[in-house]
Amino acid sequence: MAKEIVDAMAMQRALTRITYEIIEKNKGIANLVIVGIKTRGVYIGQHIANRLQQLENVDIPVGELDISAYRDDQGEPLAAVTKQKLDINIDGKRVILVDDVLYTGRTIRAAMDALMDNGRPAVVNLAVLVDRGHRELPIRADFVGKNIPTSSSERIQVNVKEVDGFDSVEIQ
Amino acid sequence: MTRRYLILQDGSIYPGEAFGAPATTFGEIFFHTAMTGYQEIMTNPIYHNQIVVFTMPTIGVAGINHRADEAIGPMVKGVVVRSLAEVSTNRLKSMSLHEFLKRYNVPGIAQIDTRALTRHLRETGTQKASIVDVPDEHAFDQLQALVLSNQQIQQTSTPRAYVNPGRGANVVVLDFGLKNGILRKLNDYDANVTVLPFSTSIDELANLDPDGIILSSGPGNPNDVPADILELIKHFQTQVPLFGIGLGHELFALANGIQLVPMQTEHHGMNHPIREQITNQILYATQAQGYQIDATSLKDKNMIVTYVDLTDGAIQGIRHRDYPAFSVQFFPDASPGPIEASQPFEDFMELVEDRRKGDLS
Repeated sequence: MAKEIVDAMAMQRALTRITYEIIEKNKGIANLVIVGIKTRGVYIGQHIANRLQQLENVDIPVGELDISAYRDDQGEPLAAVTKQKLDINIDGKRVILVDDVLYTGRTIRAAMDALMDNGRPAVVNLAVLVDRGHRELPIRADFVGKNIPTSSSERIQVNVKEVDGFDSVEIQ
Repeated sequence: MTRRYLILQDGSIYPGEAFGAPATTFGEIFFHTAMTGYQEIMTNPIYHNQIVVFTMPTIGVAGINHRADEAIGPMVKGVVVRSLAEVSTNRLKSMSLHEFLKRYNVPGIAQIDTRALTRHLRETGTQKASIVDVPDEHAFDQLQALVLSNQQIQQTSTPRAYVNPGRGANVVVLDFGLKNGILRKLNDYDANVTVLPFSTSIDELANLDPDGIILSSGPGNPNDVPADILELIKHFQTQVPLFGIGLGHELFALANGIQLVPMQTEHHGMNHPIREQITNQILYATQAQGYQIDATSLKDKNMIVTYVDLTDGAIQGIRHRDYPAFSVQFFPDASPGPIEASQPFEDFMELVEDRRKGDLS
């Protein structure tokens, strides 16, 4: 049974909070680009970019990062997937890498490999909507919407309007 | 009913019927457009020594209920209404509005055409006024001679520090004319609150190791505030989460080199739509504002505009770009007013909790 633990309103507030923290930590938004990890990370990244646009009237580029080719948990056949190029330039930029859930850290490891294949960013920061713990790699997020302690048998599902029709975080 | 008169500095006379105390009173007159919350408005220290005109036609239907007090007793010097409710059916009330004002020696006047009076005040701006028995030359002479105090903070701030204990975060409230709503809100988070007088030094505050600081709302002209307070704000905004409300917002702006200007039409009510810039969402909140941020002076400062009044474009909230320090002009404690406006408290307490956990450097 899925149980909603973060509603649409609280999710919006968490993204608002992350946005302010991004401005604070980066001392402004000059040279900033957002890279969302497919699928839901892209939409969350887009929400953050919209907020920056509302506040500062600046268009922050949002890239879509497909990390399938870089995963270490999919076995042989998937390693043949072609590596996709990012559609934005990240050379010398301050990159905010965005994902929905931070769990083992393996996705982020793969995303960083994918990023580095696309250029040499000045700085990479990690923003996640949910940090659920149980890291298997030395990775931590710079911006966290919600810390949700979980057991490893539970499942966290982030829903975004663009894909799922509504915004929420559910636990199963 | 005894006939009494409301007289204005410009010579206008409004006859009406007395209620409350039979005293003669003087003060700066202003009008408030809120439909609810007359008790909170009368007891809010921001209206210290002023005469309030309620545009809501009938006042007093909820009686007086001490849980709605924003201070001990009324802060206003007089109350002007169209019609005074003679019956109150609120089961929480402990007395009527009439008895309350009588107890604290504050006069009221009813059967005033508050619509005409409000229109008049909109044109002339706030001015000195008096509630008297006879509107003769002597009464007007006295009114002319009245000097309005510029020591409002000194008169309303607590003379010494006190504690409102809790088991949560260590929050310090600087009292510039604090209203109870702010403390009530902090109680919701079980914060361990220390309220300090406006004259607190940087060292005295630092000794308390605050997890967060609130600059309270309060009365008067922000430009009259002693410069030491601005130094204190400048010092602490770089160290701990800081949250300014009302006058506290204005002082936060001043401390960061932003100018404040008197408003053409003051905001006293809760009917203006306010937009939160980052989400483009509209909210309503109680406002009590005679000064506003001069937008041009904010341009080159390290601040983000967070809330804007959609009726006249007045800036309603700012946030520092580099530090977890922000402020709102409206009242987020929702007493009175819509609870949708209380989000800034949650934002502040989140920052405070982050700092306690060490997530905030």
